[in-house]
Amino acid sequence: MGQTAPHVCGYLTERFSDDAFGSFAGYREAGGYETARHALNRMTPEEVIAVVKSSGLQGRGGASFPAGLKWSFMPTDDEGPSYLVCNADESEPGSFKDRLLMERGPHQLLEGLLIAAWAVGAETTFLYVRGEYAEAASVLARAIGEARAKGVLGPRALGSDFGHDVVLVRGAGAYICGEETGLLESLEGKKGQPRRKPPYPAQRGAFGRPTTVNNVETFCHVPHILKNGADWFRGIGTEQSPGTLLFGVSGHVVRPGLYELPLGTRLDEILFEYAGGVPGGRRVKGVIPGGISTPILPAGLLDVRMANEFLRERHTLLGTGGIMVMDETTCMVRVGCIASGFFRDESCGQCTQCREGTGWLDQLLHRLERGDGSDGDLALLGDVADKMEGGTICSFADAAAWPVQGLLRHFGDEFAGHVSARGCPLDQSFAL
Amino acid sequence: MPTITVDGRRLEVPEGSTLLQALDELGLLMNGVDVPHYCWHPKLSVDGSCRLCQVEIEGVPKLQIACDTPVADGMVVHTTSERVQRAREGVMELLLVNHPLDCPICDQAGECKLQDYAVDYGLDHARTREPRRPGRKRVELGPTIVFDEERCILCRRCVRFCREVPETGELVVENRGDRSRITTFPGTPLDNPYSMNVADVCPVGALTTRDFRFKVRVWDLDEVPGLCTGCSKGCNVHVGVARGAVQRYTPRRNDQVNETWICDEGRLSYREIGAPDRITRPAVRDAEGRMQPVSIARAIERAAERIRAAVLREGPAVVAALASPHATNEDLTELRRLLDGIGTATSGAAVVEGEPDGLLLQAERAGNARGARDLGFGDPGLVFEKIRGGGVRVLLVMGRDLLAEPFLGGTDPLASLDAVILLDTHRSALEQVADVVIPGRMLAEKGGSMTNHAGLVQRVPAALEPAFDAHAEGAVLARLRAALELVLPARSEGAA
Repeated sequence: MGQTAPHVCGYLTERFSDDAFGSFAGYREAGGYETARHALNRMTPEEVIAVVKSSGLQGRGGASFPAGLKWSFMPTDDEGPSYLVCNADESEPGSFKDRLLMERGPHQLLEGLLIAAWAVGAETTFLYVRGEYAEAASVLARAIGEARAKGVLGPRALGSDFGHDVVLVRGAGAYICGEETGLLESLEGKKGQPRRKPPYPAQRGAFGRPTTVNNVETFCHVPHILKNGADWFRGIGTEQSPGTLLFGVSGHVVRPGLYELPLGTRLDEILFEYAGGVPGGRRVKGVIPGGISTPILPAGLLDVRMANEFLRERHTLLGTGGIMVMDETTCMVRVGCIASGFFRDESCGQCTQCREGTGWLDQLLHRLERGDGSDGDLALLGDVADKMEGGTICSFADAAAWPVQGLLRHFGDEFAGHVSARGCPLDQSFAL
Repeated sequence: MPTITVDGRRLEVPEGSTLLQALDELGLLMNGVDVPHYCWHPKLSVDGSCRLCQVEIEGVPKLQIACDTPVADGMVVHTTSERVQRAREGVMELLLVNHPLDCPICDQAGECKLQDYAVDYGLDHARTREPRRPGRKRVELGPTIVFDEERCILCRRCVRFCREVPETGELVVENRGDRSRITTFPGTPLDNPYSMNVADVCPVGALTTRDFRFKVRVWDLDEVPGLCTGCSKGCNVHVGVARGAVQRYTPRRNDQVNETWICDEGRLSYREIGAPDRITRPAVRDAEGRMQPVSIARAIERAAERIRAAVLREGPAVVAALASPHATNEDLTELRRLLDGIGTATSGAAVVEGEPDGLLLQAERAGNARGARDLGFGDPGLVFEKIRGGGVRVLLVMGRDLLAEPFLGGTDPLASLDAVILLDTHRSALEQVADVVIPGRMLAEKGGSMTNHAGLVQRVPAALEPAFDAHAEGAVLARLRAALELVLPARSEGAA
């Protein structure tokens, strides 16, 4: 990645083309850590939480949970240590925004972490980085070293009475460790399997202590919100979904990449104006709006604003903002196979519906793709997906079921065509 | 105590319990209120993974798992609504997607929760055409347990059992997703004193004991309540009887005693009942010193003759008895009556001791050691002293425990007695010195009560009739007393 800058920048990414921004000196030069210094020395944790709450910042890890509200769940009367966890296990297929935020702006992230740690009263932050993100991990390790050396981290962070350190932890390559309690298990050295909730992490999180977990991008917004104010933040994006989001556009587009745009930007605008549309004069067929687990939208439904309140009306979600574009040559059954193969491989295997359902979906979809499907298989596929939904420890089973439901909703005819044609009726001469 | 409503029934439930716990404590679970479950077990931690116990709670949009939902005052629960039934049906179907459905050759058939719940809550047909996941067959996880991976539904009860009860943690789930499988931690076979409980907690035929595997179909078993008599804990068991023999013990739940567990040694102690070294017929020693089989009536008569002769010659004090701590309270009461009738107080019980394990196994390795003590059969030291000092002419012996150290250590001290009258279940060196040998019965063959180490008196019925001429010790002693009463002046004069 390294040299690739986003095509469109906002406050998060505007300095990313400047290599110096990744260093401590460069970040300070740009005014970095002044917001944290102010927060730690001049603001109470309650005041910080109040600003973040009123900013309306929603988690950028996929679930869009209000960040300030989450922080306010941390007990204030607890005696022992509590923790902040930065979820940098970005592994949703189609999502690659956190990687850039870490590789190009490590100190921006650290500043966000420090402010959040102060707000929730965490003595230590665990920065859990996806195992495959070797470059990001090494950039962050260097940045943490600089921050310690310069007194940003340490017993008196930025000259305040607040002692804080950031511990870098690397994952070992499991999608489920991006689920916050799966992450906590992994962090504790156990097998990555989501925990039953309640207790929620704010009650009993890492090592049994109160813990707040947020996504990389969520933290990166925090210094900007504190610096510019909640009203400024609310002025960007939509009323219900303020701020910008790093949309990652991949697939059949002329200019794949990251685009920092206000939430509520129209999907067709992102696709055609920013990403340059579909190459080779082909037509778009379907778009997955927010990472593999969000249901697909067909070409006719792309005139939607990218924010949950609008996407929900079209039976899909914002997710992580990882937009995957597929043109007319794409076989939607094959898309289903790729998604189901991923989820089958990554299910932790605890809950019956997920463990057995992901395997069954995968087998059914592959059978359809091979041309061995029968008329009843489409209904069965939908029914299995429905049975997986809503009844498990975490939302992984939902995430595995939704893409199948979306594909059946919008491309049911193509699935039926695979049954009648005993195989894929599309021209498969391209490479996916 | 909070009050909740389950299927229209108002229930007072213990504060702080989960729904399943509350139903279990009220004795309603699967006994009036049916909430099927696999991963939940009353004596193990909550896992919440099988998702079968979903119920509908008014005011809560999603179905909730009853195993992990705390009760709250005013909670209204539905366990039979259409939504609940659909959810159960879904889970059952998914559990069977990869199950081999090999019930005809599976040992668990007949006591299998997968079978039972598939009938009660599942679809009546399979909708999958996909090949079933192959798994390892006949895996010896350790010396006692055989694993069939294909049948496993990954409820992880066995994993939690090993972690939480013996705290040995041999079992783990390896890999993830539908490649998850139960296995032993590398280099750590499943080998602990409670290992066989994993076969009981396993709701399906994945874990079976080497001992019981393929021995008998469970529907051919009569399951009779019984007690393990291996130590003074008094663990409750089901005595599984088929073809006139005990085929297995399985733990019978008693939260006051053994919860739902039993140690492997105790579980396998059923083998003593059908052991080849049982004493199978009454015998008396003839004039040439050889043991001759006789009727039980003749054996009792000979015993009475020996006692009568000694009492008439030297008085009742030369008669002594060693009671068995394996005998029932009823047996021992008869022994006490007999000794009172004769007019001797020289008695005791030899109780073999070992190391307690802190879980179930007690130091005293006899099922009724406490009962014997409570009935006055205490330290046998005085009896041994009197034997060695020549003060005993006739000794009534129940059980062979006195042969062990630190008691007699052998039969030599008994050689000089006029007569040893032996009531016992199994052969031993005591037969060499006995004048009369009468075969006794094991608890499962006679029923009765025993008092456990904590003073709890537990009564069980007889589970089977022995196939040979064995007699409940109490009945033998009553007949012996009857035979003596006619002639003993001491008894009629009341000079005990």
